[in-house]
Amino acid sequence: MSIVALYLLLLKATVTSFAGMGSLPQIRQDFVVTHGVITDEQLSQAVVIGRSAPGPVGAYVVAIGYFAGGWSGAIAAWLAMITPALLVIPLLTLLRRFLHLPRVRAAVDAVVVASAVLLLTSVVRMAIDSFEMLRRVFG
Amino acid sequence: MPETEAARPTPGTHKPTLRTLGWLVCYDVNRTLGGIASMELLRRSLGARGWMTDEGHALFVAISRLTPGTNILAYCVALGWQLAHWRGAIVSLAAASIPASILITLLSATLTRIDQFPVVRAIIAIALIVATLLVLATAWNLLRPYIKGGNAVRTGIIAAVVIVLALMNVTPVRILLVAAAFGVVMPSPAAPPVAEPDR
Repeated sequence: MSIVALYLLLLKATVTSFAGMGSLPQIRQDFVVTHGVITDEQLSQAVVIGRSAPGPVGAYVVAIGYFAGGWSGAIAAWLAMITPALLVIPLLTLLRRFLHLPRVRAAVDAVVVASAVLLLTSVVRMAIDSFEMLRRVFG
Repeated sequence: MPETEAARPTPGTHKPTLRTLGWLVCYDVNRTLGGIASMELLRRSLGARGWMTDEGHALFVAISRLTPGTNILAYCVALGWQLAHWRGAIVSLAAASIPASILITLLSATLTRIDQFPVVRAIIAIALIVATLLVLATAWNLLRPYIKGGNAVRTGIIAAVVIVLALMNVTPVRILLVAAAFGVVMPSPAAPPVAEPDR
């Protein structure tokens, strides 16, 4: 996978999530299921590394980038992680103008709920992988 | 000599140098596990120096929660933008994200070299369970404000639709678009409180 493609796929995941770990379902879909550039085990390891280090939880995507593309992949992932944060600048202006509208607020709320439920579906997959790995190690 | 009332900075009116801003953001974000804890540390650090008001903090928390991606990074960009526009936003973003990213890359590089050792794999296996529980906690934290009061039924319907679509192998982006459309046609009966931001 090229570095540009890696960046764009990670950006798709980060820009459609509303929490550090919210990008997990889309990353699994693109990197494990569709393109097969990392394994479920590597995905879980990236989460472990991300949660072990201080700083933003969303930084686990840097580990995904490293596993998928080495050092340059890590840099591409870092860029994909920080790019959505810049959206806060236009949002500062737009939200002051439109967030009081009930339907806009309701749409944002619905996306957050859906994001949380998608995360729960990822938890199921992670739990299965965890117990599978435990069984291999200790069984 | 104690500072007089007149000499004390008025909150929100003074601005730090880019170097000071970068250092404070780097220190406060990367000495915790991020999230609301980092935001609170930044509020205290910058508030004590008269560089941010409590109202500004509340606005940044709310907007960062609504910005795609990692909340603490959006918070830092908003903070930097408020204090020094583009330069402040870029310095804050770099200070918040680069140290953790370097550490994570080094940890990843190390792990790929040692993950075949049985002891390491045992540690990873246990850590995976902990990480799974932490992701579960993140999801619950996101969902919790939306299952109270009049929002519970609406949340239940959205959750059911999402699960069905996920089982049908619909991609997450499409599921989120469906959720947004659902939100437009079925507004919330009650405004949920602002959720505690994830990191």
